[in-house]
Amino acid sequence: MLTIQNVSKHFGGLKALENVTIHLGSDKIYGLIGPNGAGKTSLFNLITGVLPVSKGSIQFEGKELNKLQPHEISRLGISRTYQNIRLFPSMTVLENVLVAQNIHTQWGLGSIFKVRRSDLKLLDQAEELLKQMGLWTKRKEMSTSLAYGEQRRLEIARALALKPKLLLLDEPAAGMNESETENLLQRIEEIRAQGKTILLIEHDMSVIMRICSYISVLNFGELIAQGTPEEIQTNEAVIEAYLGREEG
Amino acid sequence: MSVYTEGVIALMGINILLALSVYAILMTDQCSVGNAGFMAIGAYTSAYLTVKMGIPLMPALVVGALVSSFIGLLVGIPALRLKGLYLVLATLGFGEMVRTFFLNFEPTGGASGFRGPMGSTLFLIYAWVVGFIVFFWLLDRSRLGRSFDAVRDDPEVASTMGLDVVWHKIWAFWLGSFIAGIAGGLYAHYMFYIESGNFNFLLSTMILLYVLLGGMQTFWGAVVGAVIFSILPEILRFIHEWRLSFYGAVLVAMMIFRPSGIITRKMVRDLGEKFDKLFQTART
Amino acid sequence: MFIQQLINGVMLGSTYSLIAIGYSLVLGLLQMINLAHGDVFMIGAFLGLTFAFLGIPLYLSLLLAMAGAGIVGILVERFCFRPLKKAHFLGPLVSTIAFGILLQNVGTQIWGSEPSRFPQTTDIAQFHIGPIVISSIQIIILATSLVLMVALDLFIRRTRMGRAMRATSEGQVNASLLGVDTDRVVSFTFFSSAALAGVAGVLTALVYLQITPFIGIRQGLIGIVAMVIGGLGNLRGAMIAGVSLGVIEVMNDAYFTASYRDIIIFGIFFLFIVIKPEGLFGAVQQEK
Repeated sequence: MLTIQNVSKHFGGLKALENVTIHLGSDKIYGLIGPNGAGKTSLFNLITGVLPVSKGSIQFEGKELNKLQPHEISRLGISRTYQNIRLFPSMTVLENVLVAQNIHTQWGLGSIFKVRRSDLKLLDQAEELLKQMGLWTKRKEMSTSLAYGEQRRLEIARALALKPKLLLLDEPAAGMNESETENLLQRIEEIRAQGKTILLIEHDMSVIMRICSYISVLNFGELIAQGTPEEIQTNEAVIEAYLGREEG
Repeated sequence: MSVYTEGVIALMGINILLALSVYAILMTDQCSVGNAGFMAIGAYTSAYLTVKMGIPLMPALVVGALVSSFIGLLVGIPALRLKGLYLVLATLGFGEMVRTFFLNFEPTGGASGFRGPMGSTLFLIYAWVVGFIVFFWLLDRSRLGRSFDAVRDDPEVASTMGLDVVWHKIWAFWLGSFIAGIAGGLYAHYMFYIESGNFNFLLSTMILLYVLLGGMQTFWGAVVGAVIFSILPEILRFIHEWRLSFYGAVLVAMMIFRPSGIITRKMVRDLGEKFDKLFQTART
Repeated sequence: MFIQQLINGVMLGSTYSLIAIGYSLVLGLLQMINLAHGDVFMIGAFLGLTFAFLGIPLYLSLLLAMAGAGIVGILVERFCFRPLKKAHFLGPLVSTIAFGILLQNVGTQIWGSEPSRFPQTTDIAQFHIGPIVISSIQIIILATSLVLMVALDLFIRRTRMGRAMRATSEGQVNASLLGVDTDRVVSFTFFSSAALAGVAGVLTALVYLQITPFIGIRQGLIGIVAMVIGGLGNLRGAMIAGVSLGVIEVMNDAYFTASYRDIIIFGIFFLFIVIKPEGLFGAVQQEK
């Protein structure tokens, strides 16, 4: 489904990613791990088109993503969440989800005057998403007034409103306690069961090892290992990368 | 109603339109201090059409605004690359370019100004004012309005949520310059005489002041700011000469104590909810 | 004749340089434009005029006007910038616009909106160098501008405060971590920026011989143009650009129509912002 082929990203002299190749098939949960600064979020930025690739190519269902604008890429079926939650602060919980649905409907000047039947359907879908995430009762509150864990769930709901085929989650469990994390894992599994592919960045190893079927490990922008959770756990290079390096 | 009072109300209407024109561009987090330039284009174009070519007022107004908004598009495109302060400077430069252009442009009078346009009535001015207020009200409640909010809140995230940020930003410039063009045309046909000095940087900055004083979070802020600035001089007759100092001091104080302006988004939302409960509309 | 115009241009341009330097100092430090700067220039001009009117010798009037303008500059900082440190960047911008309006009104109330003449304070001697005629006033203007610009340049490069200013403009957080009292640096920068504008005001009054409370508007704008062309925050660029603009303006008035002058200047300005925003000599970047 998604092919990241020999991708490199340079910022001037700084090498963020070097010659990374990852293949993602459908209907699975993939993990992306590595010490801080390994280039994981940069990879997300490249996939979503926020930053251009320096070398190599990224293809989604056969289409080359490199020349496309972020909004075009999201229309192809890729959406994401952010490491440090980026909700739209001037809008309510419901509006955050609704705005992500705009790509499924006519949103230009005409939308000012007409309300079509299809829009009511979108409202139903937004309701379903929010109920799935347990946020429907808070739909009229400003997005930033939510508790931390709720904001994370809202970001996921918003990303799902795009009806993506591939969902990129950037540290969704950060700052969550045990029960919240457990909750999150269930929901991620539910999303996968709906037929979506998920690429997950996480620092919490228990999360990664439990739900990912395949993991890629980055260090200093390079891919040092790829494999199943068992393979990664016993991989020497991975162990060294995590233990031999100061957390920074 | 005396001629004088009518004049105050007419200019208030023009000010409301100008404030909305700045607000339109501000909706996408772009700050323009060149809207006097767009106003000038609308003013001179429509005036030329009615006076020199005998075209009736309404079509002339619209054509003037379309010319202005076309120029607005042309400005909006390079504006995409400019952030914050640089955009302010660019629009400043643009406004001054337009002013000095008309200062030299002989077919519309050059330095002697342009005499003759007439036909604006209070009714016409306020028809446009009400029209645009309704427009912004509808926009606010619509999907497009939400897109604009998203683009302003966080353009990067908005783009990954499927929104074409570029389109929104350019469209905002088009809209703002269109409204300013209408304001210019109405102004010209009310004042009977226009000259390039009417459309200077001071005016552009004053319009920005209206919007920021009133509150830049919602379009109501722009309306309220323009109304206050237009009415206040009349209420404060007794300090007439020191009026501007008073404004200056009040604004400086506003920025310190209530930088979001008089009307905030929260205020509008809360009021809106009260109205909804009142009329029991099924709304999301 | 050409040389004569050139000298006039340099003389006028040097006043633009002083104004532009003032903008650049504040912009380099805070990444903001002080839109009250032009009106501080105007206040300086009127202060100089008033002191001269009272019989105070020219150089003393100049110094007093400088100090007076500097104080106004500090007021601008206290009201428009310091309380708005955390605000959206439009806050200080709009606040300085408002402050400028206030200054214009104060100027109008104190000195009237009719043009005021600058009193003749010294006997004007004329010096003939070949076909060129320079008056002592023109020499004073040129010399003062030059001395101030050189002094500023040396100050920034050689003194502790100068180094502190440079450190703060590269990053306020880092500077304060290094022990720099950034508040004092900011106040001092506003003072010097305004003081230079004040001097420019008096010198401009000497050039044109009469002033109104609204001269700050145009001169302020030209100062912004010079700053942009020279490179935002770049002091040396501001100096060169200011002088160049003065020369362009005088040459245009001498050989073309005066009315085209501003359209050329603002046209160049717009092109620079859009195509080459770093100016001719590079803008000063601040780490955020």
